[in-house]
Amino acid sequence: MKGPHMTGHPRAGLRRGLIELGHLLHNPKELAGHLSNVVIALVIAGYIGDEVPGTRTPMSHLVLAGFAAYLLFQTGLVNLPQMLVTEREEGALLRLRATPGGIPAYLIAKCLLIVATATGTLVLLLAAGALLVDGPLPHGPGDWLTLLWVTALGLLAVVPLGAAIGAVLPNPREALALIMLPTMGLLVTSGIMFPITSLPGPVQQVSALFPLKWTAQGLRAALLPDGARAAEAAGSWELPLVAGVLAAWAVAGFLLAVPLLRRAARRESGSRLSARRRRAAANGAVPAEG
Amino acid sequence: MTARLPAEPVIRARGLTMTYGALDVLHGVDLDLHRGEVLALLGPNGAGKTTTVEILEGFRRRTAGDVRVLGTDPERGGDAWRARIGLVLQSWRDHRRWRVAELLTHFATYYADARDPAELLDLVGLTEQAGRQVDRLSGGQRRRLDVALGIVGRPELLFLDEPTTGFDPEARHEFHLLIEHLATEEGVTVLLTTHDLAEAERLADRIAILVGGRVRAHGTPAELARRAAARAEVRWTADDGTPHRRRTEDPSRLVWELHRDATGPIAGLEVRRPTLEDTYLHMLHRQDEDAEVPAG
Repeated sequence: MKGPHMTGHPRAGLRRGLIELGHLLHNPKELAGHLSNVVIALVIAGYIGDEVPGTRTPMSHLVLAGFAAYLLFQTGLVNLPQMLVTEREEGALLRLRATPGGIPAYLIAKCLLIVATATGTLVLLLAAGALLVDGPLPHGPGDWLTLLWVTALGLLAVVPLGAAIGAVLPNPREALALIMLPTMGLLVTSGIMFPITSLPGPVQQVSALFPLKWTAQGLRAALLPDGARAAEAAGSWELPLVAGVLAAWAVAGFLLAVPLLRRAARRESGSRLSARRRRAAANGAVPAEG
Repeated sequence: MTARLPAEPVIRARGLTMTYGALDVLHGVDLDLHRGEVLALLGPNGAGKTTTVEILEGFRRRTAGDVRVLGTDPERGGDAWRARIGLVLQSWRDHRRWRVAELLTHFATYYADARDPAELLDLVGLTEQAGRQVDRLSGGQRRRLDVALGIVGRPELLFLDEPTTGFDPEARHEFHLLIEHLATEEGVTVLLTTHDLAEAERLADRIAILVGGRVRAHGTPAELARRAAARAEVRWTADDGTPHRRRTEDPSRLVWELHRDATGPIAGLEVRRPTLEDTYLHMLHRQDEDAEVPAG
């Protein structure tokens, strides 16, 4: 192996990520898809006027913090797998596999794209929330720091997992169906749109196994005043636990994603690509070729 | 083999075997491809063409056999090896949102000694489409872009998988000129799989016919035609109007005899030399006779 290829990966990957980000920003349809969550969150936050029971915090602040967590969650577990499955099916993964340094560059580009879309939508949600519906912002450097690390860990907890899912799911159509149902279930049970304490105990315990509840709790710690702790299940923000659970998901995701991605890349070949396309044609009730 | 050829072929396979469970796909394929040569791999669907090529490309692990591609076992080929190989597959629909020149320029950055993207666009005739989104290219343009991407890193060996499927005659002709240019002017070694016998005859220095997981015949197109169906067919119409056809090893003699016995010009006289197609069909036919069970 010679020098230029070794240093080539990160640079080719960053360039690739920036180009793909440019494509995203110039694609109104996809951009609208990313912005729709922000708009929905703002509308809901502007509509509800109550306070979180037992506190003097507006309910809208809890909802905005919850949706911020959901944005991170969705980027990693819905957008990323869909992107991976689609690009696998179109042959991008195979082309990069046939290119020296292509797979590392691909992964770097995807990370860049995911981090950019997640933080972009998050910043937009908080800024627009603060400007339009009197939404919450962190108070003081401690809260900003919490926002930063919870965002980073919240993303790390779901991105490797999303990559692992993207590596095993059969095709984009089934992928969406398989991912959306559990995601919606967690959206309802993780204390995103109303205090988690209003849910039955067993439901709380199940949702506590998944990262969304903890990301949301961490973001509430960063965005809501300390008085809002009263509405938490434990009566406190449990930040060490937030960090622990999210880190555990990140590690588990990495352990799962590395072999699965390697396997997915290794299995790519021209004939598998054609076979998948034929199946897709058959599923779409189009006569299969050959 | 002449003395000019380098000691080691670009591709050398001996006893290449592939088994999926109980299914034998390849039983002992031998293949040699020398520098600057164009080899066409022909065969019906299910003959093992794709499996053979994917093993050579390093995308599949073989069950047994000895394989060297550019001096390396494809299963152990790293980035430096990949950089010397170009691929043009028929299933690619990727990078739809990228613009043509943008995509080519990007892929040039992965190679130490890449071609100039602008010159490459000119070579494949896509200069006018440089700013167009890949999604908006016609089928033929898309395939030419695939070729450009396949050769952007100046590969020594180029794999072409049924490259002209769905091309109109003009696009096919343009494509053939491009491949001839690469092979003769730039010395690129090409392994081509195709169903199009005319294409194989036109482009290939040598042809290997793969049937039932074995190379049944290989040689130049002319050699193959001679070997399989050595007899030419002579057709003519007799004086009473009945058509005749006869197979002969020596068509010239038969025509001379016909003229000697005739009273005037012979109506409908036609001499058909065996074609590559005859060879190929003959080969498949023999396979059917050999096989005890129908090929799956």
